[in-house]
Amino acid sequence: MTAVDLQELTAMALEEIARADSLDRLDEVRLRYLGRRDGLVTLAGQRLRELAPEQRAAFGQEFNRASGQLRSALETRQRELASGEAQLREDAEWVDMSHPFREADQGHSHPVTGLIREIEDIFAFLGYQSVGGPELEDDQHNFQLLNMPPEHPARDSHDTFYLSPPAGGWLYRTHTSPVQMRAMLGSPPPLRIIVPGKVARRDNPDPTHTPVFHQVEGLCVDHGVTLGDLKGTLEYAIRALFGRDRRVRLRASFFPYTEPSLEADVACAVCQGAGCRTCLQKGWIEILGSGMVHPQVLRNGGVDPETYSGFAFGMGPDRIAVLRYGLTDLRDLYENDLRLLECF
Amino acid sequence: MRVSHEWLGEMVDLEGLEPAQVADLLTLSGTEVEKVTPFGVGLDQVVVGEVVGLRRVEGSDHLFLAHVATPGLEPQGVVCGADNLFVGALVPWARPGTRLPIGAEIGRKRLRGIWSEGMLCAPDELGLGSDHDGVLILSPEDAEVGMALDMVYPADHLYELEVLSNRADCLSHWGVARELSALLSRPLRDPEAVRPARSASTPAVQVTVASSVDCPVYLAEVLTGFSNTPAPAFVRRRLAAIGQRSLGGIVDLANYVMFEIGQPLHTFDLDRLPSRGAELPVGVRRGRDGESISCLDGVARQLDPETLVITVGDAPQAVAGLIGGEASAVGQETGRVLLEAANFNWARLRSTSRRLRLRTEASARFERQLSPHLARRGADRFVHLAVRHLGAKLGPGAEGGAPLAPAAAIRCDPVRISSILGMELGPEAVASPLRRLQFEVRQEGGEMLATPSPYRTDVTSAVDLAEEVGRIIGYGEVPGTLPAIRQPPPLEALAEPVARLTSAACRAAGFSEALSLSLVSGERERLAPRLVGDLAHLELANPLSMQLGSLRQGLLQGLLQSAHHNQARGQDRIRLFEQGAAFWARGQERPEEPWMLAALDLADDSAEEGATRLRRLMALIASLSSVGGGGAVEFRPVTWPALHRARAAEVWAGAQRRGIVGEVAQPVTDLFDVRGRVEVAELRLDGWLKPGGRPGHAPPLPRTPALVLDLSVTVPSRALLGPALRAVAALELPELELVTPLDEYLGDQLGPGVKGWTLRLRLRHPERTLTAAEGDRARQAVLRALEVEVGAKPR
Repeated sequence: MTAVDLQELTAMALEEIARADSLDRLDEVRLRYLGRRDGLVTLAGQRLRELAPEQRAAFGQEFNRASGQLRSALETRQRELASGEAQLREDAEWVDMSHPFREADQGHSHPVTGLIREIEDIFAFLGYQSVGGPELEDDQHNFQLLNMPPEHPARDSHDTFYLSPPAGGWLYRTHTSPVQMRAMLGSPPPLRIIVPGKVARRDNPDPTHTPVFHQVEGLCVDHGVTLGDLKGTLEYAIRALFGRDRRVRLRASFFPYTEPSLEADVACAVCQGAGCRTCLQKGWIEILGSGMVHPQVLRNGGVDPETYSGFAFGMGPDRIAVLRYGLTDLRDLYENDLRLLECF
Repeated sequence: MRVSHEWLGEMVDLEGLEPAQVADLLTLSGTEVEKVTPFGVGLDQVVVGEVVGLRRVEGSDHLFLAHVATPGLEPQGVVCGADNLFVGALVPWARPGTRLPIGAEIGRKRLRGIWSEGMLCAPDELGLGSDHDGVLILSPEDAEVGMALDMVYPADHLYELEVLSNRADCLSHWGVARELSALLSRPLRDPEAVRPARSASTPAVQVTVASSVDCPVYLAEVLTGFSNTPAPAFVRRRLAAIGQRSLGGIVDLANYVMFEIGQPLHTFDLDRLPSRGAELPVGVRRGRDGESISCLDGVARQLDPETLVITVGDAPQAVAGLIGGEASAVGQETGRVLLEAANFNWARLRSTSRRLRLRTEASARFERQLSPHLARRGADRFVHLAVRHLGAKLGPGAEGGAPLAPAAAIRCDPVRISSILGMELGPEAVASPLRRLQFEVRQEGGEMLATPSPYRTDVTSAVDLAEEVGRIIGYGEVPGTLPAIRQPPPLEALAEPVARLTSAACRAAGFSEALSLSLVSGERERLAPRLVGDLAHLELANPLSMQLGSLRQGLLQGLLQSAHHNQARGQDRIRLFEQGAAFWARGQERPEEPWMLAALDLADDSAEEGATRLRRLMALIASLSSVGGGGAVEFRPVTWPALHRARAAEVWAGAQRRGIVGEVAQPVTDLFDVRGRVEVAELRLDGWLKPGGRPGHAPPLPRTPALVLDLSVTVPSRALLGPALRAVAALELPELELVTPLDEYLGDQLGPGVKGWTLRLRLRHPERTLTAAEGDRARQAVLRALEVEVGAKPR
């Protein structure tokens, strides 16, 4: 075997490598030429010892070159063949990748609970804890402790569902404010709470009324809480809910349990304040009632009005949902139509 | 309440203000203006004409041809459909070319072959209210032929007000003017009320008030010398503007004073009252059982000891504050009246008004705690106007009730008011708005004191003063700040609420969130599956309807209803969940309010697919317990009302039953009108899941390899996997990490009454690799346990 023979052998091997049309064939070629025991090139290399010392160096060099060349050719060809085979397999595993999807198979939040969560988060940011309270109340907590004795005119707007005997001492709360009382009676100030929950008023269902609906009550009682604090808090919350540029106004109002009392309006989104059907030509939409907690209500809650002051507010997430999402009928919120729920 | 801009303008200068600006001022300060409507605006082109000839149009059953005259013009023919015309009538005539306030341009028109020169107008066509009953007939006292109509009806705007329930003082033009005077810093001009000298001393009036709590003040004045004259034009015009019909001079004047001053008045025809010679004994007392009175509206009303009545000689003449009696009603021929200006207890009037189902302009005012100080003002104003405009003379009068306490002074500390409002206000900044509201502010012993206007019954304390100052300055002026947090909020506030944890898990499993009213038909809910079992519903005493007559005991009735709604709208797979309170009766005790979660999965599919959905629902329940820190759950097969007899289980966690899960029985789905298989669960979460969810404890993670073995057995076909796996767990094999049921084989090859299970065991030793022999020992132990528990045999 000479270096020339080795070159010929290499040429043959390269040709066979090129001809191999599968990974199995290629492996046969590899074994034939580079097999550890009887590969032709391997065997040729073993002849080195038989050569005259002066020929060894040249042959050795040639051998290294040839076997290197073959290995690299084998590797290249293997990659080529492997990718070809993978292609065939993958072709057989075809998936229609144009399949249109809307979203993953997961459920949706109800717009009202979604809003309640949002409101809770806004106030959590300001240090408020979300708490609950019973939906069935007694007259004491729902009315009397909140400065609404029997026959009080403000009860007119709280058309109340009463329970039948033997549970005749109970009513369905008409607002979440009784939880204010429970919170004050439950722990001393400072108090910063938000109370989402269901309330009921005896209104026949129509596009703007459902007999059961939601309220979110807020209460802050601490040293030196002012009406300015109420204003700043509401403005922050309303902008967080309705957008940075939405105009907000506070107007004087009356609630028996707050003094001074205020209502907050936002500019109508439909007409930007010009007046339209949505806002009944007012340009503004009322979204919450609020005020400084009446000193008597603080006292009823076991809080000394000489030491502490506080504010409270209540808003209707159902109405806010209607405004924010462009609904036209409050009753739609309680039909649970999936076509609606899937929008949230 | 409706108020007139023009009328207000008499009491406070509104020069230079657009009605919209006035409306804004009132709204922001608490008297909300719901609507502003022009009244009689743009009537300068309409003239007053006189009907000088009138005949039917031939061939028409409803049209008339009126000949209308104005000075310097031949009478013109105008065709008109109204039937209230007569010769000599003064009418508003819109001649051709006139543009009416409602926008219509009037032309010359040919009707039935006759040229009609313009139009004779009804009030609504002139923007004078909504009356369209006929042509507006003008009274000769108000109008002259040829006059432009705006001389009769000056341009006005009407404000529709929503007066706050504590502000009886604003139920009048004077009260609203008082607000505007303070808001605008313009002086208030009080309506003139000069009381003349009494001209006679008979009949001798006495007033006896049985209880000054029921009736703090009762003023009686005799007025004589009336003749049948209408009220002056301005009175009738203003009453018309605010929507009041004219009822004759005396009644119109009494109404006028009520809308102007706010004090309800009543006038009795003195000559129709039972007289006792020269004496007129007037009484205010409770009614008696069996007494009745025939009222002005023709209705006879029963009296009782809860009702206040006005009597003369002990015979009821009026239901106090609500309505007068028919017998003593003022009429055309009335020449002498007894005027009543009184104040009645608001709570008593409210309950009487409710009992009689009658609400009047008077009762609406008394109910809101009208100031008793207003009575004198109202009486004097009526006397003033009656004397001046109706030629009346003031006769004797009398008073009943208790002496009126003057309004009490309130300490008015600018520092305190500043600290309530959150803005720095000095003494003058506080005093000025109060003075503008007719409060008396003075310094006394180094303190500032404020005495509210006697007409303001709502201002009694320092916070009330702060509100007055704030709303007159305007809340827009108060700087918005945030309250300082000086103590850390409670740490519990940081824990994720249960409802959020569970909602996220349900949504991740494909369920959408539903909300239902808490009111149901109890009868219908009893048909639905319920965790509560057999318990009587809590019923409403005053329901809106039977469908909403009971409080819900669970949430599945609502979800079934929503499922029906969705299916009827073409949804084929319906997955809903709801969380909320249910209501369980406990006799007289406070009802229990369990916090529930229910889920529903509906599809019209096979028994097998239904079972798969049911299993996913059970997996969701396990997830809920897991995310909520409720521990492992156990499903115990049961038969349960309204659920499939072979597909129902109780959900247990720890030693408590927490819920039910199963497929709704077919007859029940039929009742709720849904097609297909409905998999449902109802869980009670309170007392089980915890805010913040699972505590999250990480065990050591050994690096040694696991030994995984599959174990196939045959078991009887109704063998239960739950007890079987619990038996395996009870072995407490230290190296047995996990047992997973891989497969359940129900084919025929295994023989009748038998099925196959394949369980995968994962074993691991914390420190070394387990040997095959150890694996085999574990497998044998598991097999023995299965054999004992469910009669398993190796396969």
